[in-house]
Amino acid sequence: MSKKLETAHAGTLESSDAFVRVIPVAAKGIEIELESSVEELYGDAIRTLVLETAKAMKIEGVKLIVQDKGALDYVIKARVQTAILRALGEAEPDWSVL
Amino acid sequence: MSFVFSEVPPTSSVRRQKVRDFLHSVSLDMSEDVEIFVVAKEDDRIVACGGLSGRVLKNIALDESLRGEGLALSLMSELLNVAYREGRQDLFLFTKPDYQEVFESCGFKYIEQSKHQVILLENSYNIDLYKKHLRKYKHTGAVVGSIVMNCNPFTLGHRYLVEQACEHSDWVHLFVVKEDASFFKFEDRLRLIQEGLADIKNLTIHEGSDYIISKATFPTYFIKDKAQIDSIYTELDLNIFRNQLAPQLGITHRYVGNEPLCAVTNEYNQQMKRLLAAPSEFPPIEVVELGRIEYGGEPISASRVRTLMQENRLEEIIPLVPPTTYALIEKMMSKEEA
Repeated sequence: MSKKLETAHAGTLESSDAFVRVIPVAAKGIEIELESSVEELYGDAIRTLVLETAKAMKIEGVKLIVQDKGALDYVIKARVQTAILRALGEAEPDWSVL
Repeated sequence: MSFVFSEVPPTSSVRRQKVRDFLHSVSLDMSEDVEIFVVAKEDDRIVACGGLSGRVLKNIALDESLRGEGLALSLMSELLNVAYREGRQDLFLFTKPDYQEVFESCGFKYIEQSKHQVILLENSYNIDLYKKHLRKYKHTGAVVGSIVMNCNPFTLGHRYLVEQACEHSDWVHLFVVKEDASFFKFEDRLRLIQEGLADIKNLTIHEGSDYIISKATFPTYFIKDKAQIDSIYTELDLNIFRNQLAPQLGITHRYVGNEPLCAVTNEYNQQMKRLLAAPSEFPPIEVVELGRIEYGGEPISASRVRTLMQENRLEEIIPLVPPTTYALIEKMMSKEEA
């Protein structure tokens, strides 16, 4: 199941935060572009987190661009969720999947 | 320290004047084409600002005393918020070379510099995609020519130039300026060029892009000497052409029409000759100036055609343009009358 998406974003570029952009693309699946100040240590973990979060919200055909400034993982997760909700035009998340 | 951010719309002339004053205080000129400014204030005093003009971020400045990554990143967050909200996704950014790192940490990638005074960055990988796209059209040969044209509209003068270039070259790449800032729309200009040159075999007609003579690449703001504005812009454009685009197609020559009348364009041609052949890690490109074809004792030019259109002297346009261009002009004029 996939839903209709618009471009959207959430977050800031400030320290300990993340800036997430959601851009619909023609290709299927979920593409992730990550730039992180802690790339070497946590790059793979962040990519997995972003991917799992997006999958749980049942979206595809999307590119997620994440600028991470050393955010803790629940911050990244929240920013990704918010950006996706905005992309879906939904105000309330499906709490059961979060 | 906390800052208060706000937006300054184009209609608010008093607040825009305050932005202008702030920019002057850090030795920048306000770029008048900026639509929306984002400003950061501390105790009612502007301490940072940044502007959005089309898809270009410019006039980004911070008070000297507060220059640190913290405020810069907050400002950029606000500015990107505005840009994305306005539906501008693929953005360009002009800044001084000193601040390259700051903006790279905001997701922007370096494209090119000019005179060590200005750098251009973008938040996408579009130039890489464009380069990859160009490589598909590569033709090998001893002389691979290139022409960049606006053709507003396409005339027999343009055709003569392209014919000359194609005669001198194994292959020619013609780039059509994509920016819709001319009297004739891009799609019309492109179609007239394609139709008017359909019989020429060793020619590829390319749609232009943000990277060839486009509005998105026109920095003006941190240049104090107004006479330098054009040369900074042209140098940036020529650097992108020589260092990024030409190598994808193996371009060895660039053809231009000579400019006996317009001093500005003539200066541009001379600058092009110097820059494209200057010593560099990239192969030199030879600039060839071609003479212009005349009709009735005057060079055939697009501006001459547009003047005749304004004066409604349609018959006099016929000998200056190919039939396909004339057909469109006739259609446009009859629509106007109706």
